[in-house]
Amino acid sequence: MAEEIVRVEDLRKLFPRKVRREGAKPWTRVIPGRGSVTEPFVAVDGVSFEIRRGEIFGLLGPNGAGKTTTIRMLSTLLEPTSGSATINGYDIRKQTSLVRQSLGAVLTGERSIYWKLTGRENLEYFATLYHMPPRTAKQRIQELLERLDLAHRADEYVERYSSGMKQRIAIAKALLANPPVLLLDEPTIGLDPQSARNLRELVLEVRSEGRTILLTTHYMEEADLLSDRVGIIDSGRIIALDTPERLKGSLRQLDVMKLELHDYDPALDGVLASIPAVENVVSSPAGNDGAWYVSLHARDTRAVLPSVIELVGSRSGRITNLQVAQPTLEDVFIAHTGKQLRD
Amino acid sequence: MGQSTLTAPSDTLARPRVSAGSTLRVLLAVARKEWIIFTRYPTWVIAIIVWPVIFPLGYIFTAKALGGPNGASLHAFERLAGTSDYISYIVMGTVMWMWLNMTLWDIGFHLREEQMRGTLESNWLCPVPRLLMMMGASLAKLSTSFIFLILTVIEFRLVFGVSLVRGNVPLLLAVVLLTMPSIYGIGVMFASLVIRFREANAMVFLVRGLVSVFCGITYPLAVLPVWMHGVAQFIPITYAIRDTRAAALSNASFAQVAPDLAKLGAFAVVLPVLGCLAFAYTERRARRTGSLAQY
Ligand SMILES: Nc1ncnc2c1ncn2[C@@H]1O[C@H](COP(=O)(O)OP(=O)(O)OP(=O)(O)O)[C@@H](O)[C@H]1O
Ligand SMILES: [Mg+2]
Repeated sequence: MAEEIVRVEDLRKLFPRKVRREGAKPWTRVIPGRGSVTEPFVAVDGVSFEIRRGEIFGLLGPNGAGKTTTIRMLSTLLEPTSGSATINGYDIRKQTSLVRQSLGAVLTGERSIYWKLTGRENLEYFATLYHMPPRTAKQRIQELLERLDLAHRADEYVERYSSGMKQRIAIAKALLANPPVLLLDEPTIGLDPQSARNLRELVLEVRSEGRTILLTTHYMEEADLLSDRVGIIDSGRIIALDTPERLKGSLRQLDVMKLELHDYDPALDGVLASIPAVENVVSSPAGNDGAWYVSLHARDTRAVLPSVIELVGSRSGRITNLQVAQPTLEDVFIAHTGKQLRD
Repeated sequence: MGQSTLTAPSDTLARPRVSAGSTLRVLLAVARKEWIIFTRYPTWVIAIIVWPVIFPLGYIFTAKALGGPNGASLHAFERLAGTSDYISYIVMGTVMWMWLNMTLWDIGFHLREEQMRGTLESNWLCPVPRLLMMMGASLAKLSTSFIFLILTVIEFRLVFGVSLVRGNVPLLLAVVLLTMPSIYGIGVMFASLVIRFREANAMVFLVRGLVSVFCGITYPLAVLPVWMHGVAQFIPITYAIRDTRAAALSNASFAQVAPDLAKLGAFAVVLPVLGCLAFAYTERRARRTGSLAQY
């Protein structure tokens, strides 16, 4: 039995994208091919990774990084422009039916199920689409409903469910055919903190049954908490791939400083970065009241601290909090790209 | 979360047990799901019970007004139409038109609705040919249409005392059955175009506008200018309307409408094939451009 249940090799996806032609008159837009030209846009740019059986693999990256596009290619909804991938040994281009039978996927969360059907009706419907014999399906559905704590509401319309319950029905749907691989695209997006926590627990439980999970997220805590290994993806490329510990460990020679400031001028980022021994500086406003967060990676905190305080002070900013922190996956992202995960 | 643990994933289960039975079950499951959702929106009552009677009324009263007192000027109509029963004449045309119209909206918007709901992709993630699901949905719409047709017949019997099923009944049924594949072929073609262009209203209005003008839903084609006849003969509904009227109102024989039946038969082959091609094209294109995820 192959150790690697998902293999992705040099997967690329170009989308045709309409770009307004230079100098085109506004009214030519209505004539196809006159006001715009179609240019290929690279959404996924040669991604390779392997997922071992029983592993949770996280794809972490900012908006537009190519996470969803990658997962949609693996689930046979999108055709790769080039490259190849196998799931459970089946080729995603040539053996689409077998790939789909081997996969449970939740791509659009609560929107992937019918709100005008009850939870049970949804599952019965999809069970048929996975060619499950009716009797097996019935049992399996009851088992899943109980397991996901939905049995008492199973015969209500989904539209009356909370977001967390809808998401659980969507996951139940993905687990119906007992697939060895689960693909989850941003599984906790839009959930309240409690539901998100429950869902993460569920993901861990599902893994402990021996299933392999590929999930995408742009929450670094989530990737850190859930994943056995994380691929950090940006602009369609995987820029780092390892266990969360080792990724963070790779920054050990750097100190990570988190500053909270008042009246900060982001133009100062560049000036701070020019202090010798400072490697990366990124800043973001922390609300509307003039507070800012600044993350600063330095080879030696003690040496740079006076310069940092002096520089910030000279520009009328005020440091309200400063700590030297453990590096997070976000810092790994900053170290590789010079950007923040969220902006 | 509950206590019981689930059975571990198995590679044997991952192999689909596809059989003729499971394929048929898929078809029926899709149809059943469509049907359930349809009936859970209260507007269905209007669509299949109220509308069939309301819609032709305008035409019927127009005809009554133009016909003059006691239908004095109806003989002109009779000369062209071959019958003076203008109520049945109009109803046969409007029913055909409503059937087509219903199908265009129902099937035409089927994929689009699934797309906007977000369920299209979760269906397409299943190990089932996508055309099969489209056919399942068409089957559901077909059953709605049948109920619609039957209710229409009953309602006209009760409201106007007009029997629509009369004359050469076997021929009447044959024409309806022979028209079905064309209507559903057009429906599937529509469904594909609708998600391709993400806009359907304009196209539906165009098609049903063409049909209502060219196919003679309320008047004999003889009143149309010659060039319009040319267009009409490329629309299957023209023959469907003409022949249901011939069968029911003039008691025509199979032999009398044989040329029309042959043409309807040809449409019944060509249009579903075109529908499937359009669907295949849209599916392929969607996989290349990812257009399904956008709305
Ligand atoms: N069907 C499409 N046609 C054209 N461009 C697309 C299409 N789908 C995605 N893109 C583009 O490809 C890039 C990657 O998108 P993708 O949805 O994979 O990102 P993501 O990592 O999932 O981001 P997010 O966190 O916002 O979900 C984006 O720039 C997006 O605009
Ligand atoms: Mg995404």
